[in-house]
Amino acid sequence: MVSCAVENNVAPAERKASERTGVTWLRVYPVSNGEPFATHDMVYIPMTCQQCGEHTPCVSVCPQNAVELDPATGIVAQIPQRCLGCRYCMTACPYHARYFNWWDPQWPKGTEVLLNPDVAPRMRGVAEKCNFCHGRLHTARTKAAAEGKRDIAPGDYIPACAESCPARAIVFGDLADESSEVSRLSRSNEAFQFLPKLGTAPKLFYTSSKEWVRNMAGKVPTT
Amino acid sequence: MDRQFIPRGLQRSTLSQFIAWLLPWALMLGIGLYATYLCLAEGLHHTNMDNRFAFGLWIYLDLTIIALGAGAFFTGFLLYILRREELKAVINSAVVLGLICYSGAVAVLMVDVGQPLRAWFTFWHPNTHSMLTEVTFCLTIYLTVLLIEYVPVVLKNRRLRQVPRFLVFEFELHKVMPVFAGIGTFLSFFHQGSLGGLYGVLQGRPFAYREVLGIWPSTFYLFIISAAAAGPSFVLLTTWLVQRLTGKQLVKREVLSFLGKVSGSLLIVYVLLKAIDTLYWINHTAPDGGAPAYTFYASQSFGLWILFTEIVLLGLAPAAVLLSRKLRERTGALVGAAFLACCGIMLNRFVMTIQTLALPTLPFDAFMSYVPSWQEVATFLAVVAYGVLLYSLSFRYLNLFPQERDIRQ
Amino acid sequence: MFPFIYEFQWTPTHMIFLGTFFSVVIVIVATLSLALVRVYTVFRKRHHEAIQWEADFEDLPAAARVCRHQISGEVTARTCHEEFDCRSCAVHPTFLAKRAPALAPAGTGESMFGFVMPLDRYYHRGHTWVKYEGDGVYAIGMDDFGSRMIGAPDAVELPGVGTPLTANGNGWLLKKGRASLRILSPIDGVVIGTGKAADAWVLKVRGGEPARETRHLLRGEEVRPWVMRELERLQLAVAPAGIGMSLADGGELVPDMWKEAPQVDWDGVWGEMFLQA
Repeated sequence: MVSCAVENNVAPAERKASERTGVTWLRVYPVSNGEPFATHDMVYIPMTCQQCGEHTPCVSVCPQNAVELDPATGIVAQIPQRCLGCRYCMTACPYHARYFNWWDPQWPKGTEVLLNPDVAPRMRGVAEKCNFCHGRLHTARTKAAAEGKRDIAPGDYIPACAESCPARAIVFGDLADESSEVSRLSRSNEAFQFLPKLGTAPKLFYTSSKEWVRNMAGKVPTT
Repeated sequence: MDRQFIPRGLQRSTLSQFIAWLLPWALMLGIGLYATYLCLAEGLHHTNMDNRFAFGLWIYLDLTIIALGAGAFFTGFLLYILRREELKAVINSAVVLGLICYSGAVAVLMVDVGQPLRAWFTFWHPNTHSMLTEVTFCLTIYLTVLLIEYVPVVLKNRRLRQVPRFLVFEFELHKVMPVFAGIGTFLSFFHQGSLGGLYGVLQGRPFAYREVLGIWPSTFYLFIISAAAAGPSFVLLTTWLVQRLTGKQLVKREVLSFLGKVSGSLLIVYVLLKAIDTLYWINHTAPDGGAPAYTFYASQSFGLWILFTEIVLLGLAPAAVLLSRKLRERTGALVGAAFLACCGIMLNRFVMTIQTLALPTLPFDAFMSYVPSWQEVATFLAVVAYGVLLYSLSFRYLNLFPQERDIRQ
Repeated sequence: MFPFIYEFQWTPTHMIFLGTFFSVVIVIVATLSLALVRVYTVFRKRHHEAIQWEADFEDLPAAARVCRHQISGEVTARTCHEEFDCRSCAVHPTFLAKRAPALAPAGTGESMFGFVMPLDRYYHRGHTWVKYEGDGVYAIGMDDFGSRMIGAPDAVELPGVGTPLTANGNGWLLKKGRASLRILSPIDGVVIGTGKAADAWVLKVRGGEPARETRHLLRGEEVRPWVMRELERLQLAVAPAGIGMSLADGGELVPDMWKEAPQVDWDGVWGEMFLQA
């Protein structure tokens, strides 16, 4: 979560920000199986934009085309400069992956040196979300172009979260390339997705050796 | 002192009494404007909306007042297109109400979005698949149409009409009014529906998502019919309220009865269609999205009672009363039923906005709650105050109720 | 929104959506322009006074728009739909066929309910009288009823010689207190003379043939029931001020009601009686 915020120039949270008004492109949820003491189990689920497929809930509802699904990379990109701040996309997203700038982003004096020059900070009143560290994608593409190559080298482009996770819980790669590790993992028996029945076709896959986790993912909660 | 501006033959309170009436509303408006300033200058963190409750009181308010303001287009449609001449008695009042509702809604919308100065982007980069784009286009033009319909009412002010240019212009505008009434009806059809479509297309929220009929979800059509049902009831209600507050009879009794009958007829159609839609949703759409429908009503605050209230208590019951000629004769029943009908529509908008967002979507989500902040409430009240002020000024200086003079004699 | 915006594509949805939007905008602009063009035409053809009267007539209370044939008892209830222009009324000739009231000889200065209303002239419902003097010349003045309502005006503004007049349009202006009263012209024509203070008439007008020109004016046996009705209307109009005028008194109407009863909204009452909305 921290590396994501640092990489993408997310401003430090305001004093009055709560867990519902803070900006966390990647957010880790502790989830338990709800069982009593002896059989109690819990996991940590990193939730981020699921980069939905063709029927993205957010792309179709934005009134000014400020969200785009890039057919080449499959990434759902947000254009903060065009965003009106109507928050319709946030209502549409079932994964709660979108965050709104309820405050003017402010960096305390002296912390501006931490800003990443490859990523534009957003202004107050616009929505934002994970875009698979687009800045890094651009860097990799620039490097490939400088070397005269058409495609980027797979190792050159990795989002901050995957790069920094010490437990190697996040794996990133080309889903379309069948030989890649992500592709192999997505097809394993332990793979699952969240809310598959909604027809969002996310490109994020999760794997778990625990059956209760896999079963939980498809269910709509009963309160 | 301002008698020369008050329409001839009508009796209005003294200027000091009038100002005394206006002052508290002006104060309410002032407080709301301050709250608006806070939100515009410092950010929307002044509201209690958050990343889970991205739509709050303001969006609910917008939907509600647009639904109630549908009386303007529907009365215009009945009068100018279907030639129901009895509605001449309330058309001016309906136009003012419509103007208040829509201008108030647009004003609140400008505060609600994070970057109001970018509002024109929707016109420059329209996403024709989005319901909100459709709403934006329609509302902008419709507000213009309402202003054009308001101008003749203003120009017929006692002093203004003495300017020959104004009176002739008003005369010519009135001759082409059916065109504007037709456009208003056409536009209203789309934006009332699109506001319903806003929720019907949310495939990520199985509670709100509805199957598509043609190119729009069923909520599109349901919202149009419910707005058309609420409109006449709201006009009825406000006319009665103004009559009570001013102690004058402003329209002949048959006009109110007629409005009630129209509202009741549409309401019963709406209740029937809504019941069919709900049954279909319970049996097909919701389970297809991954959850049986009862799970959405499992919480205490939004139990099944809300569905029952919306369809039966605030839908079927007032419709039955409004359709009964005998009950329409009794003012208490007529006005009460109209009030319940409006409440039913308000509840429907509430359920679609607030309940949709309160319900969890991810398996490990919790049920969310939301209470508006004082800034949100103040802004909401400011719109109400603005409405009262504009209506009061219009009532005093313009001829909102043509039958008033004849009734007085 | 426009083809030259980067990434814009003319998909069918775009065409339908933007097409509808622009069509509606065009219709609105076109309709507004049409109304404005018509306004300009009206003024150019000098029809604005007729339109003004049409608009004002619409806003008069129902009691003021009663047909002359209802007043004279020929029919139980009838509201005028022709803005008092009996020339264009389809039903008026049928009434005339049954009974055609006529002028009485000069000198019959009938006293009706305390008013002097000679029957040798025509009366306009806006309380002006018209006398045909032959050769296309008409004399116009204000009747006794109107004069007693207003009393002595503070100022009078008459139209200049050569001004065209439209029936039911602007006649002349009277100022009294804070009120400015527009007296309606009873006939069409051109002003050829303005009256002095001593004259019995206010304007001399050159118009057309009397048969056509005066068709919409009251005369003879129509006048008395009309005056009675006007008196009732006046009583109703001043009633809210709590004056308590009554016909049954049999007393004469005072010459200057404005002075006698200052609490009445005279501007409103005059407007009502002189047929202004």
